[in-house]
Amino acid sequence: MTTTAPSPLATIRAMALGYAPRIFQGRGWVLAASAIGPVVLVLGGHLIARLQGAESSAGEALQIFHEMIRMMLPIMALVAAPAGIREDLEQRTLPLLLVRPAPAWALPLGKGLPWFLWGALWLVVGTLGLQLLGGDPSLLLGRLGAQVGAWWGELALMTLVGLLFKRGTLWGALYFFIWEPLVRIFPPFLQRLTFTHYIESLAGSRSTSVQTSQLLAQEQVTTHPLLAFLILVAFGALCWAFAGWKLQRTPVGLAGSEAEG
Amino acid sequence: MIALDRASLRYGPILGLSPTTFELPDGGGITGLLGPNGAGKSSLLQLLSGLLPPSGGEVRIFGEAPFRNPAVLARLGLVPEGDRLPTGLRAGRWLRMMGELSGLSGEALSLAVAQSLETVGMTDRAHLPFVRMSKGMRQRIRLAQALMHGPELLILDEPFNGLDPEARLTLIALLRSLAEGGVRILVSSHILGEIAQLTDRILLLFRGRLLAEGTVTEIRQLLDRHPVELRLTGEAQVLARWAVEQPELAALRMEEGSVVLSVRSPREFFPRLQQAAAEGGIPLQALDPLDLNLDAVFQYLTKDHA
Repeated sequence: MTTTAPSPLATIRAMALGYAPRIFQGRGWVLAASAIGPVVLVLGGHLIARLQGAESSAGEALQIFHEMIRMMLPIMALVAAPAGIREDLEQRTLPLLLVRPAPAWALPLGKGLPWFLWGALWLVVGTLGLQLLGGDPSLLLGRLGAQVGAWWGELALMTLVGLLFKRGTLWGALYFFIWEPLVRIFPPFLQRLTFTHYIESLAGSRSTSVQTSQLLAQEQVTTHPLLAFLILVAFGALCWAFAGWKLQRTPVGLAGSEAEG
Repeated sequence: MIALDRASLRYGPILGLSPTTFELPDGGGITGLLGPNGAGKSSLLQLLSGLLPPSGGEVRIFGEAPFRNPAVLARLGLVPEGDRLPTGLRAGRWLRMMGELSGLSGEALSLAVAQSLETVGMTDRAHLPFVRMSKGMRQRIRLAQALMHGPELLILDEPFNGLDPEARLTLIALLRSLAEGGVRILVSSHILGEIAQLTDRILLLFRGRLLAEGTVTEIRQLLDRHPVELRLTGEAQVLARWAVEQPELAALRMEEGSVVLSVRSPREFFPRLQQAAAEGGIPLQALDPLDLNLDAVFQYLTKDHA
């Protein structure tokens, strides 16, 4: 039998379909819960407050949602990325993929794609569910773009970090939970090196809700929503490409450790 | 088909494989890669399967360097050591994916999945998740993924580990039939008996060096420092009298109804023995080489290089 090497698209498709069942298992449902959890909490809190006769405006509930989802998106990336190509590296099943004639650079994206689509689905469902609060429909597209774009970028970043470093999850967590909040006390232009900036530029919370007193030592930097979305998408694509390049160029033996560091 | 020219492999400061040169010809057949743990077998297999590029020298498979080379990878199959398979998947779907990654599609893909499952006797268990499979079943699935695209070169790293005796026999029969069908098979093992059952053509590795290459007999003949032990059955007194006159004789031991000789340079001794027996000069009823087997060769060679 004579076979020819599959195209990059065929490789991505094969990987995505082959590993798709993984998203319907435990980790996949944790991911779904991470995406939908903030929505359920906000809606539940709003409902309880209304039932108890307390005042609870839709604006406040949306503000809480924005804060929560900003925290949950990195958690989603930290949950999903280790199930990507990093999983094969750790379980030493990567050699089985690398001895195929398929382009190795397409493997990380192929394996990450089901996770991206699954997470994006739940983010969209959650955001649409939020409209039950009566949020401004004109901001809906921005909210969707912010979450899906940031999810794409953060998942890609975590996949890349997982291939670059043995403790990729740790480095990713440090970036998301130390650097992103910390950057607010540094010069304003550094805001552009955070996902938060683009999420806020797209979702609109920055310009509508954040008070000057909430910022420590910086001016507010704004980016046009469309440009913010494109930057998130491009950053994600760049990270997937870099992860693919890393895998293509780096020898990975049966012990699985050669690709690290 | 396989050509190594001073190919070596380093893991940082550690030398996994010293500069090694050998060739395996086109066509089917089984070659055993033999050596104790840590001898460099897996290093060599990783070079041959294109997982790692050589640190020095050159590796050619089908005339090309194999590292990330689709033209080579489309023609080889690898069964790495162990029984690891991706978690959370089922065999049928996973094999389908592996087939697609090998360039198969449509009916050819379905046929390849079905045939490979049938070959390894797993057709009725392809629906099982890997986690519910026994070690032997997982090993069979790993073999199926290596076979499904019809490779011309099949590389197996310690394939018998963890298999029960029945599964071993099945695997041996399968490998033999594949070899007869024109597949060149390279099997590594640190257990001599396994290789001896499969083939007598071996590559012997020890401490990262290729010690010997050839059939057991060919390699044994290189070991003139270690006499070959032969048991000659017949009239022991007459046989012993003939033997002591031979210049290659190193030692002699009398047994009931036979005599055990230690002989140097068997290539010169054997023709003379055959001629004497044929001419009726000695009453020889049977000739048994006592240490002309893989165990003995392995012991001698590794002892020499230890």
